[in-house]
Amino acid sequence: MDEWKPNPAVKPHKKRSWYLAWKYKLMNQRALRKLCQTGAVLFLLVTVIVNIKLILDTRRAAYEEEEESAQDYDDEMLNVEVPRHPVNNKKILDVEVYSSRSKVYVAVDGTTVLEDEAREQGRGIHVIVLNQATGHVMAKRVFDTYSPHEDEAMVLFLNMVARGRILIFTIKDEGSFHLKETAKNVLKSLGSQVAPFLSWRDMWTFVGKKGGEVYGEKHAKSPALSTWGDPVLLKTEVHLTSVEDAECHWPDTELNRRRKRFCSKVEGYGSVCSCKDPTPIEFNPDPLKDNKVFDVPVAVIAGNRPNYLYRMLRSLLSAQGVNPQMITVFIDGYYEEPMDVVELFGLSGIQHTPISIKNARVSQHYKASLTATFNLFPDAKFAVVLEEDLDISVDFFSFLSQSIHLLEEDESLYCISAWNDQGYEHTAEDPSLLYRVETMPGLGWVLRKSLYKDELEPKWPTPEKLWDWDMWMRMPEQRKGRECIIPDISRSYHFGIVGLNMNGYFHEAYFKKHKFNTVPNVQLKNVESLRKDNYETEIHRLLGEAEVLDHSKNPCEDSFVPDTEGRVYVMFIRMEQEADFTTWTQLAKCLHIWDLDVRGNHKGLWRLFRKKNHFLVVGVPASPYSSKKPSSVTPIFMEPPAKEEGAAAVPAVAAAEQT
Amino acid sequence: MQKINRNVVLALLSLTSLVFLLFQLCYYKFYLSQKNGAAFSKVRGSQSGQDSTRWHVVRKFLGLISSHNIPVYLIDPLILGLVDKDIEQIRSSPDGPSPECKYFCAPRDFTTFALLDKTWKHEVGLFRTAEKMGFQWLKIINKDPRLDGMDDLSGMEIPLHYIFKLASHAIHLVVFYERSGNFLWHGPLRLKQHMDRKFVPFRKLHFGRYPGAYEKPELLLVSIDDLKVQIPKSPSSFLEEMSHSRFLECRYREARAFFQLYPDDASLDAVEFRKKAKSLLHLAALTLNNLGVKFWLSSGTCLGWYRQCNIIPHSKDVDLGIFIRDYKADIIPAFQKAGLPLKHKFGKVEDSLELSFQGDDVKLDIFFFYEEDDHIWNGGTQAKSGKKFKYLFPKFSLCWTEFVELKVHVPCETLQYVEANYGPEWKVPVKTWDWKSSPSNVQDNGVWPVDEWDDVIQIY
Repeated sequence: MDEWKPNPAVKPHKKRSWYLAWKYKLMNQRALRKLCQTGAVLFLLVTVIVNIKLILDTRRAAYEEEEESAQDYDDEMLNVEVPRHPVNNKKILDVEVYSSRSKVYVAVDGTTVLEDEAREQGRGIHVIVLNQATGHVMAKRVFDTYSPHEDEAMVLFLNMVARGRILIFTIKDEGSFHLKETAKNVLKSLGSQVAPFLSWRDMWTFVGKKGGEVYGEKHAKSPALSTWGDPVLLKTEVHLTSVEDAECHWPDTELNRRRKRFCSKVEGYGSVCSCKDPTPIEFNPDPLKDNKVFDVPVAVIAGNRPNYLYRMLRSLLSAQGVNPQMITVFIDGYYEEPMDVVELFGLSGIQHTPISIKNARVSQHYKASLTATFNLFPDAKFAVVLEEDLDISVDFFSFLSQSIHLLEEDESLYCISAWNDQGYEHTAEDPSLLYRVETMPGLGWVLRKSLYKDELEPKWPTPEKLWDWDMWMRMPEQRKGRECIIPDISRSYHFGIVGLNMNGYFHEAYFKKHKFNTVPNVQLKNVESLRKDNYETEIHRLLGEAEVLDHSKNPCEDSFVPDTEGRVYVMFIRMEQEADFTTWTQLAKCLHIWDLDVRGNHKGLWRLFRKKNHFLVVGVPASPYSSKKPSSVTPIFMEPPAKEEGAAAVPAVAAAEQT
Repeated sequence: MQKINRNVVLALLSLTSLVFLLFQLCYYKFYLSQKNGAAFSKVRGSQSGQDSTRWHVVRKFLGLISSHNIPVYLIDPLILGLVDKDIEQIRSSPDGPSPECKYFCAPRDFTTFALLDKTWKHEVGLFRTAEKMGFQWLKIINKDPRLDGMDDLSGMEIPLHYIFKLASHAIHLVVFYERSGNFLWHGPLRLKQHMDRKFVPFRKLHFGRYPGAYEKPELLLVSIDDLKVQIPKSPSSFLEEMSHSRFLECRYREARAFFQLYPDDASLDAVEFRKKAKSLLHLAALTLNNLGVKFWLSSGTCLGWYRQCNIIPHSKDVDLGIFIRDYKADIIPAFQKAGLPLKHKFGKVEDSLELSFQGDDVKLDIFFFYEEDDHIWNGGTQAKSGKKFKYLFPKFSLCWTEFVELKVHVPCETLQYVEANYGPEWKVPVKTWDWKSSPSNVQDNGVWPVDEWDDVIQIY
């Protein structure tokens, strides 16, 4: 047994031999082996072919699918992405500034960014603000410092410009006559050597960085009073900084991203762009309880007065009960800056290609805006119409919420307006009091959709008619005897000084002293008494308790009204027929209220306040309230002053404003 | 040795090829089955895993939107179809836990939800959260059609569709806008050039090939597959509405060009006529909709829509078309009840029926259309001679549109329809029009037998 040892080699050998045997057997069947091999090769080939075919198939299928989907879902208008301004890697800007009597221009890197050679226009100091990192124009202003107070506006503007911005100044015609010491000092602080000595008809150009270096300054003195200085052309180079240096480092929030976009594009909005502690752009005013106007669309009609729009939207978004989603700003023209303001506040804006000119342009813009508003909010029964040069009272929406049901229910109403034409500082007193008036004041008002859609829109003045939309709306064909509801103290304030029908003098005379409500949550008094019939009862009650004033006295004198408070007084003036406003106009003039046309009347009755007393004026005999006149009283008659040269100009102005 | 190796190599290669072939067979089968829309395929890997992915994506999405207080509702035709089968049960047990994932696990590539534009603020926060949750998203914006009809207004582009993709499933969120005809509208899905065409298989989307018009749906909060979701109260009628929801926008640009050539009639008469025609059309639409009779703008009214997006002031009547199969006997009494007396009735239900009702100064003509194999026609009758006419139209289907603040039907193939009726010169306004000879598609159709006259020619 010992001999028999398992040989470790045996097993493999045995296995091997089995394999060999098998191999040998196979070798013996050469033909079969060959067959197998060929079969395998063939099989491989087939696999390869099938593979290739499959790859091709799937690829084609995938391609077709893609094609198809592309055909179905491609935008037909191939929106070729317009490449944005090529990234400017250049670190130096070439700046050219020209100043002369009749022409100014500024060119940055060969591109003209300002050119003004119009006659009788653009007098004064032109200011351009460039972004110090990109070289983009952020603001363009002209201050007519030949005229008074314009230098103050310039100082205000320059103070608002952020540090580091590049400022370019150039004078056209004359810019020194009303350039006061303060303004000169500000220019000096910017690095100007010449500014303190600028004098009559000097030409001047200056380029510098706010709070930094001066890039160049040129000056040409006027040799004599009757002549201008020689034209000057300043050519200089400005070194750009990096984008990071030009931006503030606000925390990265959605609001700040909007702010950043805004502040890198435009200048002159002050603290909204200040790096430290910028002014908020979201206001979150208190919501209104039971807000009936939350779903009423608000159309803001705007032109190219972005600073006005900015102020207006701030006040609007701060009003209690505002619903930003319902606000649409309609911009008349493709102006960028107003749109930037709209986007800053996260509102939606719509631009409108201008149609026609002057008043007709405004009127077409109104029509388009109103139609679009009702298209965008097809559910709305009303629309609030605002303009870009209005401040909105904190209780604007509260006022509307309390009164809007009247507009819905009372067919004899034409509108609700936030503006009282006769509501001046000295003639308005009661924030909770409402009136019915036959005139349509505008300046922040509510329009009923059915009125617009059924009556106004189809016959709105066509572009070739140079009509004011508001004047047209006030015409008897449109108004049809309907009335508007207004508050005693206005819920809007008209701050615009520049405008189509507006200038500084006009504003000072008729708008500056207008009373504006600043009290929140005013509870309106006895709103139901504003309904058509109730109002008559209310007026009769008032006239019943009113004390008749002494008609022998001069109604223009302060002493005409006794020194009391909270009483009701009535006076009677002569008014031969419904359209006889001779005495009223004179009275309005001496009371320093709106006298350019007749506003605020209701059946020959005017209601206002004098010395904190309610003061009623009744036109006799045209007014149905004439019966309240005691027989002993003779209505006061006031004659218009003898016709002067200027008298003819008045109606022209009267036909103006409100836009 | 080498020979052995060769054999081994060959055998191994053959084996791999075989496996490969088998795999490809499976893949091919799977691919084809998917293409053909076959619901289930056994080869498809982890079936249950896929199912729960869909459910999880939907749940995540619902979580996302509810955290931002955005009210969406389910409009996915596939799921609504399944839901509709069990609607009674789902309605009766709004909170019951479901034993199995029956609806949201059904195989599909997308789940579609609807969002009413006015119910949310377009806030960026939503997308940030979505990204944090792992969603990739795509936003499709385009022009606002509500401003399209307006001269020279350019608003911001509005979002029409959103697609949220997570893992292998995507959520298609369709944004609905309210339009002036008191209906909801969603836009078409069009990819701009730079967009990722392969983000999802866009072709398989249920919404977006065309714009669509829908009634405002009544919603119902239900719990299906343990998810709380809003669905249209009646899924079946929603699905039915969806099947013919295609919307055609008026050709505002062409209309503007038309008015450049032929300035609009702004006379008081024209204004007055338009006002009356509009209110007549509103009344007619109300009456027919109440009866459930489908109608469309025909003849001059259709031309007015197509050519100038408005009522043609010199057309003097309002024309509607109705398929004779939709005819109901109570049409006449319904109009009379609405204050529109029957003016005349020509023809009979079997042949050339035509009704006219007298509105306030404006006549309402209703033509009934008869469908043949290769064309559609309506008839005309001359009262004094009893002559019959036939107006031929190529076959058409119906689309929704918005016209004078109304959601109405027009033939989708409007150009062919208008051209059949008015010839190739339809772009030129014609003031004198003879309905017996002017239309380019009119044919003589014999004369009514005299003994039938009392029946087929009724004038009031």
